[in-house]
Amino acid sequence: MAKITIQNMSKHFGDVIAVDKLNLEIDEQEFLTLLGPSGCGKTTTLNIIAGLEEPTEGQVFFDDQDVTHIPPEQRNIAMVFQTYALYPHMRVFDNIAFGLRMRKVAGDQIKTRVIEAAQAMEIENLMDRKPRQLSGGQRQRVALARAIVRDPRLFLLDEPLSNLDAKLRITMRTELKRLHAELEKTFVYVTHDQAESMIMSDRIAILNEGKLQQLDNPEKIYNYPTNMFIAGFVGSPPMNFFEAEIRHENEKWQIRGDGFACSLDAETDRRLVHNPPTIVKLGIRPEDIGVVTQSDTDPTDVSAQTLALADEYVPGWDTSAEQCFAKAKVIVREPLGSDLFLALELNGATFKVRTRPNIDFGRGDIVSIALNPAKFHLFDPVTGSTLLQPTK
Amino acid sequence: MVKHRIGLYLLSFLAMLYLVTPFLWVVLVSFMEEREANQHHWIPRQPTFDNYWPYLAKGSVTDEDKTAGDAVGGFTARQFPRAIINSLINASLVMVMNLFFGSLAAYALARVDFSGKFVLLLFYLGTRSVPGVAIMVPMYLLIRGYGLLDTHLAIILAHTTFTLPFTIWILKGYFQTIPIDLERSARIDGCTRLGALFRVFMPVATPGMIAVGIFAFISSWGEFFFALLLTSSIGSKPVTVLISDFAQELQVDFTLIAAGGVLVVLIPIVLAFIFQRFIIHGIGGAVTG
Repeated sequence: MAKITIQNMSKHFGDVIAVDKLNLEIDEQEFLTLLGPSGCGKTTTLNIIAGLEEPTEGQVFFDDQDVTHIPPEQRNIAMVFQTYALYPHMRVFDNIAFGLRMRKVAGDQIKTRVIEAAQAMEIENLMDRKPRQLSGGQRQRVALARAIVRDPRLFLLDEPLSNLDAKLRITMRTELKRLHAELEKTFVYVTHDQAESMIMSDRIAILNEGKLQQLDNPEKIYNYPTNMFIAGFVGSPPMNFFEAEIRHENEKWQIRGDGFACSLDAETDRRLVHNPPTIVKLGIRPEDIGVVTQSDTDPTDVSAQTLALADEYVPGWDTSAEQCFAKAKVIVREPLGSDLFLALELNGATFKVRTRPNIDFGRGDIVSIALNPAKFHLFDPVTGSTLLQPTK
Repeated sequence: MVKHRIGLYLLSFLAMLYLVTPFLWVVLVSFMEEREANQHHWIPRQPTFDNYWPYLAKGSVTDEDKTAGDAVGGFTARQFPRAIINSLINASLVMVMNLFFGSLAAYALARVDFSGKFVLLLFYLGTRSVPGVAIMVPMYLLIRGYGLLDTHLAIILAHTTFTLPFTIWILKGYFQTIPIDLERSARIDGCTRLGALFRVFMPVATPGMIAVGIFAFISSWGEFFFALLLTSSIGSKPVTVLISDFAQELQVDFTLIAAGGVLVVLIPIVLAFIFQRFIIHGIGGAVTG
């Protein structure tokens, strides 16, 4: 029932440009996340969609209706705030009922609908309490009940989980996703937590310094980041970056960094832009670097035997591509139970590797590592943009 | 640790003693006989309510009806109830003026960005640093110019000018502790800007409003200097000025003054007790959540 179109929208606060010429289309029933670091303009964008702030220029449409100058009370939307913004002088019941009363819904109907919403959020036993008597999680549920009770055409959520403890946050993620599926409404969700955005969204719009960086589904954002900012922002631990040099030799692109050298795999080779710079930034995610556990094997010996070893010891390893081996020193070992992260050093560059938990290397050990060329990301070191063309 | 505590208690006891002693003396003297008051001792030998009776006496209170037959101080005491009413009217209206203008100004200062805001705030504060004596003459001339001498309005206006800057500063600080998301949420829920102000913001701001309201009330209630300057007859004279009438050329009736003082202080004390919860909250900031 509500498709949102943001056209060429900018918002200035004095000299500060909070949002810079944003164009964005949010589909009906979509769960779209505005993701970015603090100060990137995501909350401002949400406030403008809500009507709480007016854009300096540009327009906002709900379906075909221009709502740019329509005040929030006439937009029929619901919003959940990071601070929950429950009315402290009202009981839970009145908090949920407030929006209905403002819209002059009949008294008996208010009661039915409030109870329904409360049941959906499992808070029907808290109706007589004041907000200050509730825990953080309960307040969150009241805020959500207040949002769903009015049956709005659009849900706006401004970092709704940031004030919850880690465990509750994970529960509420699921809850919100369930809510989205059940209500079949458009959700616009603001967060700075990239993991949260990956888990919950149909699509993610990444903002930085007021500009839209990339708009895509979570997998695309993760696998094909269009610039270094996105590559470094999404994923935990973040992507590793190395200085490297690329050269076209023997019909193939060769890449050489400090301590490693190999050729690009066929797919990356095909996607590489014309006339790339010689010096590039090579990005590799921690899970795309493997630790070869048989340290007696010469890691630089790209033989069939080593490939087999890689296949055996590095989980999910793609052996069809040419491998890229190196030796690195363990600096820090970070066991996580299901995974093990190792901070390694290679000729002065430090980076992180995600590997299996049963690898018993510790600080100071020299390990053999294999880089997966099929998962290489190449960026222009000056502009930070990707040097790989999008896949079809 | 325990030593620490003892020192703390001792200090707060001394502070309390310092604050309470003069008032305690007034209370004790109000139960003494006239000649006892000059003897510099504390406990009344024969406690008496005699000093309070003149305040309850009936009779004409206009200045023309002052008769030679009245006992010393008796006439002034007879005017007391009327002066209390004058003070109540003044203080209540000063409070209303403070709450009305103060909350509007503070809301704008707390929520709206406009140029010159900081200068305006400094200006408000600056007016507080001007001693009353400095503006005594211009204030008198101004009030006389408008023909307001010896009226309630004169005192209300004068007291509002002194109390309003303080009210605005305190309320601005208080309003800023109220999360803006509350009003935003109210807007989303269907309120207009004014609706959000009255249905959500004001109820949440009530403790702060009560606190500054009572401060304004008490400031006006206890103010003496400008009240003395601007009033002359019992038609507008507040109780602080009336009490000074006890000090006459020939003698000062300490016990009557003391009894009057006790009666005058009762009202703000009762107010403070009733609203102490709000005063503490109001100064401490809004309760969020």
